[in-house]
Amino acid sequence: MILPLAIKSLRNRRLTASLTVLSIALSIALLLGVERIRQQSRETFANSVSGTDLIVGARTSPVNLLLSSVFRIGNATNNVSWDSYRRIAALPEVAWTIPLSLGDSHRGFHVLGTTQDYFDHYRFGQEHKLKLVEGERFTDANGIVLGAEVAAALGYRLGQPIVIAHGSGDVSFALHNDHPFRVVGILARTGTPVDRAIHVSLGGLDAVHAEKSAEAAVDPLAAAIQKARQREAQRAVGTDQDRIPAGQPADQEHGQHGAGESGSPERTITAVLVGLKSRNKALSVQRQMNEARDEPLTAILPGATLLEVWEIVAGAEKTLVAISALVVVMGLAGMLIALLTSLSERRREMAVLRALGARPWHVFALLLGEATFLTLLGIVIGVGALYLGLGVAKPWLEQGLGLFIALRWPSVTEFGLMILVAVCGVLIGLIPAYRIYRLSLADGMTIRI
Amino acid sequence: MTVHASSAVDDVVHLSDVRYSWDAASPPVVAVDSLRVARGERLMLRGPSGSGKSTLLSLLAGVLKAQSGSVRVLGHELGALTDSARDLFRADHIGVIFQMFNLIPYLSVRENVCLPCAFSARRRNRCEQSGASVGEVAARLLRHLDMGDVEMLGRQVTGLSVGQQQRVAAARSLIGGPELVLADEPTSSLDGDRRAAFLELLFRECERDRTTLIFVTHDATLAPLFDRAVEYCDLNRIAGAPPGTTLSDDAR
Repeated sequence: MILPLAIKSLRNRRLTASLTVLSIALSIALLLGVERIRQQSRETFANSVSGTDLIVGARTSPVNLLLSSVFRIGNATNNVSWDSYRRIAALPEVAWTIPLSLGDSHRGFHVLGTTQDYFDHYRFGQEHKLKLVEGERFTDANGIVLGAEVAAALGYRLGQPIVIAHGSGDVSFALHNDHPFRVVGILARTGTPVDRAIHVSLGGLDAVHAEKSAEAAVDPLAAAIQKARQREAQRAVGTDQDRIPAGQPADQEHGQHGAGESGSPERTITAVLVGLKSRNKALSVQRQMNEARDEPLTAILPGATLLEVWEIVAGAEKTLVAISALVVVMGLAGMLIALLTSLSERRREMAVLRALGARPWHVFALLLGEATFLTLLGIVIGVGALYLGLGVAKPWLEQGLGLFIALRWPSVTEFGLMILVAVCGVLIGLIPAYRIYRLSLADGMTIRI
Repeated sequence: MTVHASSAVDDVVHLSDVRYSWDAASPPVVAVDSLRVARGERLMLRGPSGSGKSTLLSLLAGVLKAQSGSVRVLGHELGALTDSARDLFRADHIGVIFQMFNLIPYLSVRENVCLPCAFSARRRNRCEQSGASVGEVAARLLRHLDMGDVEMLGRQVTGLSVGQQQRVAAARSLIGGPELVLADEPTSSLDGDRRAAFLELLFRECERDRTTLIFVTHDATLAPLFDRAVEYCDLNRIAGAPPGTTLSDDAR
């Protein structure tokens, strides 16, 4: 009886009750949203580099190398020469290598130049291999394999022709339209940046950029523009000018993987993922690469560097969690104020209830029930708002920030936070409940104010 | 003056040497040497505003506790009961009609009438023993009080006229058949004809269950309608008043 009475009483004060619920809901959505993004960004990052022992790139900071090569956040400061790549691949401790070449895009999605080794050795999550849901791997310089999100977002099917653009923005005026690619495969969803990548062979990228260079050589104006673009690209990404012309003979070391994986001394790549025969050798190989004299390189242990990333962002994370916790406190304080200010006008109501037989604990429970109901409703609406918000912001979070947010059930931590807020709401409700309890004892059937 | 008109056996209310003041420093607002009200009796208490009539009703309802003396209702010494037992006793045995009706504004007519049964299993059971649900008993009571419109049951009480609110308040006090109904000036806002009509309906319902009615008013013209009428000032002027003098004696 008490809870329905509390709900009807709240409905009678729907404006203040709605505002109270709204403030609690927004604060809960903020708190859980921060927690969800924090958890999932960590999961996304951790899942993206499974099974890779080292990442090697041009001399830069470890964090920058990790973010640019694996998570496509920011740009590499420089490139790695193909010679260096071959030397790394030839090291006796190295089991496999995956060259990565970034710098082009298609409708806002990164184009990743790589070799067949990518499909053989790249692992995500709990050592999962990449799987094709449709088609096959690229076998020539024109083939493209789409990440699951790219295929879903752009609605591309097998056989779809694609023109890639220079640079990584959503809009580019430097289209490589002389060399259209064709979709030959679509990968299964991984929940990592792989889903948002367009995979082409290194040979395909070489061909694209070679054609652009040839075009520039014929037209002086085009040559000047191309040169300027190359300078800009060199500053930003530094990928393009060293591509080999189309038809270049296949590299003997990697020729066995088929067309598109050939390399020349002029080719450069962005980074190399390295798998070692024994993980125990990781530190010595890392040191060996970091001390290479031919070309300044940076080799990182992905797990260790990821810890560095978390250390860097830990302060910001804690601040965000603290701010959102304070917002929750403000929301609950708002409820307390609303309930306390309603007490004076409700003393008559409580006196009437007492005269009708309500015991003091009924009056106490009524106020406590209202506080509990407001808090629980705020939590439910807040969780709903969070899922709605995440659903709406999901494409932007994935595209803009590379964060893959799964719309899954709340985690244990999130449930813990909800329970904590609910308990706080009930505890805060004790204050007006106790106050009205005392007033109802003193007022009796008449109110003497 | 001692005021009684019934034998102790049938007494629903028996006050003796009751004193109550709001705080220890102030004089008592209630000082009743003796008052007895029999089962099924309709007693009118008349007195000016501010004379302590409502305080006496609060003592009879067990909301307030007398500082001295005895307040016995249905044979129970209210002062001897614990706070929670007194609350439960009130919920089970006493109905209250307020001067301003004090209906709960966010509840419908039916919900207002049923409300006392939410706090008393005894009154709820009494309704159900009649073979009807609490809601059906509420509807029947309202029908008896000339509020038979089914649509009316679901309406918010804030949309009712004063007369309608008064009858809803009466039905609320009577539901579940309490042995004692305390009415605190419920007719003060009505004109003469409506006042008499309301009292007629209220008496009829009280008679049905032999419910005792203590009706507080400042309107002396209502006295002939009651079994007995007591001038509240006389009741409170216990020491010097001759025994047996009641306003009802004059009125009859």
